[in-house]
Amino acid sequence: MLAAEQARATPPVLKDRPYNDLKPRPTHFPATAKAMISLFQHGGPSHMDLTDPKPELSKRSGTDYPGDIHFSFVNQASKKLLGTPFKFSHHGQCGMELSELLPHTGSIADDICLIRSMHTGANGHEVSIRYFHGGIPGILGRPTLGSWMAYALGSETQDLPAYMVLTDPGGHPVDGVTNWSNGFMPAMFQGTVLRPKEPRIFNLQPPPALAGASQRQNLDLLQSLNQRHLQSHPGESELEARIASYELAARMQLAATDALDISKESAATLAMYGIDQPDTREYGTRCLLARRLVERGVRFVQLFHAGQPWDNHSALKPGLTSICKKTDQPVAALVKDLKQRGLLDSTLVHWGGEIGRLPVTQEHGSPEQAGRDHNGQGFSIWLAGGGIRGGTVYGATDEFGHKAVENVVTPNDFQATIMHLFGLHWDKVFYPYNNQKQIITAQRAARVVQEIVT
Amino acid sequence: MVRWQSLWTELGSFCAGFELHRYLKSSRITNALCVVSLWLATATLGLGQEDSTLHFESDIRPILREYCLDCHGATNKLEGGLDLRLVRFMHMGGDSGPSLAGNDPEQSLLWQRISKNEMPPGEAKVSPEKKEKLRRWIAAGAPTLRAEPEQIGPGVPLTEEERAYWAYQPIRRPEMTVRSNSLARTQLDTYLENAMPKELSFSPDASRLTLIRRVYVDLLGLLPTADQVRYWSENESDNWYEQMVEQVLQSPAYGERWARHWLDAAGYADSDGVTLADAERPWAWQYRDYVIRSFNSDKPLDRFIIEQLAGDELAGPQQGDWTESQIECLTATGFLRMAADGTGSGDNSPESRNRTIADTMQIIGSTLLSSSLNCAQCHDHRYDPISHRDYFAIRAVFEPALDWQQWKTPNERLVSLYTAADRQQAAILEEEAQKIAQEKNTKQQEYMRQALEKELMKYEEPLRAELKLAYETPADKRNETQKMLLDKYPSVNISPGVLYQYLPDAAEDLKKYDARIAEVRARKPAERYLQALMEPANHSVVTKLFHRGDFNQPTEEVKPGKLAVLVPESESATFPDDDTSIPTTGRRLAFARWLTQSEQPNPLLVRSLVNRIWMHHFGRGIVATPGDFGRLGNTPTHPDVLQWLATELIDKQWSLKDLQRVILTSTVYRQSSARNAVGDAVDPDNLLYWRKPIQRMDAEVVRDAMLQTAGDLNRSMFGNPLPLLEDDAGQVSIDPAQPRRSVYAKWRRTQPVALLQTFDAPVMGVNCDVRPASTVPTQALMLMNGDFAIAQSQKLAQRIVQESAAKSVDSKWQEQLGTIVPPAPMWLYGTGKVNDEIGTVESFQTLAHFTGSQWQGGATIPDATIGWVLLHAQGGHPGNKNFPTIRRWIAPATGSLSIEGSLGHGSENGDGVEGIVVQAGSAKGRWTAQHSTTATVVNGLQVTAGEAIDFVAHCREHETSDSFTWTVQLNLTTPDGVSQSYKSQEGFRGPAEDYSQLAGQLHRAWERVYFRAPSSEEMELLIQFAQQQIRLLQAEPQRVPPGSTVGQQVLIHVCQTLLNSNEFLYVD
Repeated sequence: MLAAEQARATPPVLKDRPYNDLKPRPTHFPATAKAMISLFQHGGPSHMDLTDPKPELSKRSGTDYPGDIHFSFVNQASKKLLGTPFKFSHHGQCGMELSELLPHTGSIADDICLIRSMHTGANGHEVSIRYFHGGIPGILGRPTLGSWMAYALGSETQDLPAYMVLTDPGGHPVDGVTNWSNGFMPAMFQGTVLRPKEPRIFNLQPPPALAGASQRQNLDLLQSLNQRHLQSHPGESELEARIASYELAARMQLAATDALDISKESAATLAMYGIDQPDTREYGTRCLLARRLVERGVRFVQLFHAGQPWDNHSALKPGLTSICKKTDQPVAALVKDLKQRGLLDSTLVHWGGEIGRLPVTQEHGSPEQAGRDHNGQGFSIWLAGGGIRGGTVYGATDEFGHKAVENVVTPNDFQATIMHLFGLHWDKVFYPYNNQKQIITAQRAARVVQEIVT
Repeated sequence: MVRWQSLWTELGSFCAGFELHRYLKSSRITNALCVVSLWLATATLGLGQEDSTLHFESDIRPILREYCLDCHGATNKLEGGLDLRLVRFMHMGGDSGPSLAGNDPEQSLLWQRISKNEMPPGEAKVSPEKKEKLRRWIAAGAPTLRAEPEQIGPGVPLTEEERAYWAYQPIRRPEMTVRSNSLARTQLDTYLENAMPKELSFSPDASRLTLIRRVYVDLLGLLPTADQVRYWSENESDNWYEQMVEQVLQSPAYGERWARHWLDAAGYADSDGVTLADAERPWAWQYRDYVIRSFNSDKPLDRFIIEQLAGDELAGPQQGDWTESQIECLTATGFLRMAADGTGSGDNSPESRNRTIADTMQIIGSTLLSSSLNCAQCHDHRYDPISHRDYFAIRAVFEPALDWQQWKTPNERLVSLYTAADRQQAAILEEEAQKIAQEKNTKQQEYMRQALEKELMKYEEPLRAELKLAYETPADKRNETQKMLLDKYPSVNISPGVLYQYLPDAAEDLKKYDARIAEVRARKPAERYLQALMEPANHSVVTKLFHRGDFNQPTEEVKPGKLAVLVPESESATFPDDDTSIPTTGRRLAFARWLTQSEQPNPLLVRSLVNRIWMHHFGRGIVATPGDFGRLGNTPTHPDVLQWLATELIDKQWSLKDLQRVILTSTVYRQSSARNAVGDAVDPDNLLYWRKPIQRMDAEVVRDAMLQTAGDLNRSMFGNPLPLLEDDAGQVSIDPAQPRRSVYAKWRRTQPVALLQTFDAPVMGVNCDVRPASTVPTQALMLMNGDFAIAQSQKLAQRIVQESAAKSVDSKWQEQLGTIVPPAPMWLYGTGKVNDEIGTVESFQTLAHFTGSQWQGGATIPDATIGWVLLHAQGGHPGNKNFPTIRRWIAPATGSLSIEGSLGHGSENGDGVEGIVVQAGSAKGRWTAQHSTTATVVNGLQVTAGEAIDFVAHCREHETSDSFTWTVQLNLTTPDGVSQSYKSQEGFRGPAEDYSQLAGQLHRAWERVYFRAPSSEEMELLIQFAQQQIRLLQAEPQRVPPGSTVGQQVLIHVCQTLLNSNEFLYVD
């Protein structure tokens, strides 16, 4: 009974009322990052062809891999090592080695921290995507990273959603809307999708006769009605959220229109992002929009590709060349642009996919058709800004690039580190759900990777 | 029970699932912190000692299942010869020797390999906590709970612990105790009360209006009508509520509402998906209609399931025409054709076929078994006792009909509903058509002969005769000379296509025959199809287990079977390969009957069904993951309620409506949704149902209820899906010309209807178990600015205007609007006495009557007094010499003024008109126009604010034929240099609006949307809004579209606001 006595003294978790608004909230300790732009690269970018040079792999290309490999596509499995067809060279004062496919990324080498030892332990796309977003491999129904940020910190702007998602004109990424799900959190922490083409947000503007003062009067009446209704439903968070959503919608009309209008950006800026070039126009525009949103106080912006362009099971060489051509320049431009505007110090930029690829070939009958299968054992991502130590390479994979062997970083470590940069103890930001204190890492082992933090 | 608890604790880190009854048990003792309560519950139940002694079956095997058994036990081929399925086998060990060495972990190979992360090889490593368990277990001597079996079959055997998992337990009516202060009306209530701590109880019943609205929206997906609300509000019988539930259950709208829930689970779509084409499924709607009809007729759910799984086997072979009941059964199998299927639209690869089968399996698993069957497609399920073999045993049930090696594309699977009578009628008509074709042919031959004659006339004899002979000789009999001749003179080759060149009328004449043929053929009965799954007769296929789920690696044969964990060890888990009594294999029929037997109800199916039903009534399932009762899903908040509902469904002969009669008449359903202090203190998240959760309208209900409120909803049922429109921006909407219920929309996978999707309707991938209820600004924007919401607001306003002509409200509201002083008009329209000599206006009298487009003296013209005087936007007509027209402009500010304009008299008759501009007693300009136009320019005037400028037009000698045009523009520049122009035609206005009807209309709109009269305070709010907005619209008249009025706009905006409000969008 002693235990029962003690238990009674502790307030139940359900007593802890979760936040139900987007007001800015204090951090646990001073933050270095205020906003984050995540450039998610669905499919599994091939690290040994992009960010993780493996001379031994090239040397032994064509011979058998000496260890065990777990394949996703067993019928095309081969143990034959496949050296990269691309050249690597040193970049920046730090001398970071990157592939010839990423010349622009090379130009920001001194600003980024390249982690070469990511590890999810699972090869499947969805399993690892959900791990990165939600904290547990393969599990659906959890809030995504952006939801946790919006929940923990609220929004710097009350005129735009705290968490915005810029999708690809080609369609949704693999795993669809799950990528920006609020899981068990209230819907106000869900990512708001900016459409890939005009109008970027449907129904943003009313017909002219209704616009401005007239709609404002209508909204005032609506809110009076809703407030009266709420008085008879005190504490009903969904009703409160809907009231807030109308106010946000009204402010978005002004703010979003302004944020999405890139017509006043200089020609030099547009050229830097490659918006003047057909290959880079689309992704460049979205990278630029991401900057404009962060500038206006949006907490978390995430860019997705349609499907999974980095899933190079076959035709690795042309496939990688094409996706790099579309993304390398815009991505580097974003970091440079943030830097020149003094925003990089407080804006964390993330580039990376959910997995990497295997050092062995995936057979398709001919060398030109060769590709690589999934690899959750070891792969690369990079971070920049927001208190990240630039010009560093952290961790390493084995001599072939199959497994992370040095300073292994898991998605849970990644999440803990990001929370840390935002001035938060990752294990102290919790959401009460199912009578448990839910945290971003789901009580799984995690650590702040202090070595990459300034 | 005890065993489940420890299993759940084990799962803690993986399954974030909430175990409410654990919380409840502890909460009876204390409102404890959950983490503590976990421990506490275990301790209270006397399980504390188990923690110290780990056992193989309960603690270790789940770890091995997750990480090791795939290679060391699940398949016939054992990696390294090592079998970890039993502790006995571990002692025997594999190629490297025994896995266990006494109770010394460090010496045990099992520990060595796992602790060093050498095992498992590829993927995730065993977590430190699990390793620690393993170490402690070995150190304790690797104990088991019981003696291990002497022999085990192939694969990983099921353990008692796995069989004891809650979801697999037989369905039995649980025990209950009635509490002393019970508010229970039904047994359901009692179970819920049993789960409440004693300080908690149900809330009082909701108000009558709330209940009426709740029941209608919940059961029908529609609002009640005003008459229905009145009827039930005024019904004085004690059981009015039960009567209402009964009546609502009989509405045909019920099937439309509940079908949509099922269609979500079944993955309904009107397109095939997979490829970019997303080919349409033109006949899928027949399945949708089948589901609607089934719910409306309260088809017992067991029958409903059997028909969907095996309708073709039930129907038997076609003998003559398909009978009505056969058609119904075949239509039902559309359920098995819902999965995306690109094999008819560009991707008929083996991968694509197998993906369609896998998706179908996933739908069956999540919808009927609430199991993540799909997780066992490549290997044994990592967490649930569903083996790779189980997956293929169930796949074997469906494979004779979904045979990937003898695949049929969607079109090849369509079943024609043509009857013998149809065919006969078609044949008769075809005969008729052929007759006409024959006539045409004869005529054509004749025309061609004539054409040939004409052509041949171009040639001289003997060439003419030679050509004729060559042409008339059949092509294969022509000699070389003839062939050469025809090559040389190709125009002799008369064909029907060139007839027009010779005989222009012939072609027209022949076309008439074609038209007649087409007309006759069009009268043939249209051929309708079903999108069904029909197993071919005598098609017993052998199903092979695919290694790693890869169809390129078939291994051993698997017989059709059940989910093994649901079958007692002593019984066979397989179905017969072939039921010889019917032409098909009977596998699906056997499977369906196994699922739906009433004597030993299938625990998964029945729980799955009742959990979904509960979810739709209360917004949350008893198991929050209705598609997965396994360990990756949630656990039931109220296991007893789930059990009871399951037994109740069977007792009620699988009648959904009967089950709903119980649920809806229970206290838990009838209670108020209001919070109270005790409830908020004990259970703020209402997990215990001490109040009715409020629910936002589903996407379809938002649309349907708006149409309904606006009076625009077309209630016709069934048939082809409603066409979609896509606007320039790519936003998809349902064709507004067909304002029918959303369930009839075309549900394309790649063209989700924006309004519905925004309010959380699923975009169909595989299927949809739970819809989220999101609250995002895009919804607000959709309702504020979207075409649909604006159109419905306008329609509602029209409806209100028509309805509330005689509506009388408290006169004080009318007065408040009536007293709004319109801004002083800038333009006045009148007649008066003009001193023609000096050009002064001696008196001014405004015109009394406005027709909607012009001012005049009275309702009819000429007016008895002032005659033909009239003024409109462009000009007017003067009366006789005593009654000129005067268009008066009042200067809004002091400044200098110039006037430009144009006076015109169009008629050739009459003596024309004279125009005079008058200011301050003197004429500033004077022009005449007679069948001519003249510029009217005046410069250099000074005016003071409020001063009048009169534009006088009078007849000369006679007023006949004196219609004139006179538009002027006044350019006013104030002393501080600001210029402004005023145009007479743009400033033309009718009389100041009368707002006396508006108060009544606003009142009516409120009643229409909310089913209740506004309170005095609420009316005050509307009136204030109206006052404010009238002033705005008066000041900015460009906001009022042509043909509309300020009052109408205010009403439309109030309607839209009411439709956007929470009181409308939420159901208490």
